[in-house]
Amino acid sequence: MIQLQNVSLKFDKQELFNNLSVEVPAGGRLLILGGSGTGKTTLLRLLLGFVMPDRGNVIIDGEKLSLENVWKVRQKMAYVSQEMQIGRGNTERFIKEVFSYKNNRNISYDRSKLVSLLEDFHLDAGTLNKDLEELSGGELQRFAIIVTLLLNRKIYLLDEVTSALDQPLKELIVNHFLSMKDKTLIISSHDSVWHNRNFPTINLGNNGSSS
Amino acid sequence: MEAVPDITIWRLLAGFGLLVIPVALSLFVKLGIIRQLAIATGRMTGQLFLMSILLIYLFRWDNTLLNAAWVIMMILFACFSAMINSKLSFRKFFGPVFLSYFIGAGFVLLFFNRVIVNHENIFTARLLVVIGGMLLGNSLNSTIIGISHYYESIRKEKRRYLYLLSLGATQNEALLPFFRDAMLAALKPFMAGMATMGLVSLPGMMTGQILGGASPETAIKYQIAIVLAIFTAITVSVSLSIFMTSRKAFNPYGVLRNDYFKN
Repeated sequence: MIQLQNVSLKFDKQELFNNLSVEVPAGGRLLILGGSGTGKTTLLRLLLGFVMPDRGNVIIDGEKLSLENVWKVRQKMAYVSQEMQIGRGNTERFIKEVFSYKNNRNISYDRSKLVSLLEDFHLDAGTLNKDLEELSGGELQRFAIIVTLLLNRKIYLLDEVTSALDQPLKELIVNHFLSMKDKTLIISSHDSVWHNRNFPTINLGNNGSSS
Repeated sequence: MEAVPDITIWRLLAGFGLLVIPVALSLFVKLGIIRQLAIATGRMTGQLFLMSILLIYLFRWDNTLLNAAWVIMMILFACFSAMINSKLSFRKFFGPVFLSYFIGAGFVLLFFNRVIVNHENIFTARLLVVIGGMLLGNSLNSTIIGISHYYESIRKEKRRYLYLLSLGATQNEALLPFFRDAMLAALKPFMAGMATMGLVSLPGMMTGQILGGASPETAIKYQIAIVLAIFTAITVSVSLSIFMTSRKAFNPYGVLRNDYFKN
């Protein structure tokens, strides 16, 4: 479960959140709406502990996010944003490096799952022989999502992930995430493919005031 | 072999006469570099003149403490220059940058003087000050390239860094790819120069020694040794300066402290 309790945050003197409280149960969904500059990305980064609130608490699974647990809490989450930058070099080597991280060594690298995910997301198997810089924006976006899916996280924070994709791919990705019933999804998007799905929604407005 | 004759002041002034050609060209095609050229020429002449006076006395007294103190001064100059050019905050990063030069250039300098040259007094001005200057001068450029590249790419590719953290990387694991890129950017130009050395240009140290009367065999051995020493000094000081500034540049949550950098 994810809770924001009376979170307030100013950024360059502009008030982004004032006493914002939100609750998302495990396996729940939340759609964040709002104009640009209203703090959608910042809200997701608050959950990851990349930004700390001026006042109020961020609580993940009953634990208040703090220095003591932030590195552990991040391991429950996957974060994908728009216009992904991943790095350079061979795609599969990148995945292997991710799996060699100290925190990920207990997760086994399942290549057959990788191959089937590539197929699900309409990337051909040759992608694994390519370098990251050879992938198009849309391919990179899907690749970044696939890596997080391999890690099998509980909570997915998706920041405008579908914005650079064409309609069939948007729907493909939305449907994939919606089929994962046990995952918590927090989505920030302008994209209508995420709308009208009866998600609990918070609207950050147009000029930074939250409702 | 005999050393070349000294250049008289009048003949050196004649050397300045050469500048008539670039100045004329600048006037003719409106390059607009005359002011800048005048300042640069003036600074070069003044600085080298002062340096020669300083060297005359350093060589005359040849006092270990004084020589070491001058090397420390050079490290300080290098530090300031590196920090100004890579936009690091002085207050926060002076210590780490100073230490990385001190260790990088210092270790290689002592190794060069003791093991390679095997001089009985490794603190003698001719070795300590001159070789120290070559090591520091070359490390300076590379450190500026390395540090700037490192922090600029972390800032420019913030999403990449945060993505790696969210994939479970520890801070060091997430920074490793940025470190690799920065090291390559810092080391590659020197390696490229190394590979063409002797073909296109005779390196400055070797030229100087030959003019000073040393045999080409001696000059070439010194040249090879100094290139190896410079490359190692660069590697150590660039990697240390990135490593040591990195420990301060991030908050405990792993996010780059933008307020530690000048815009």
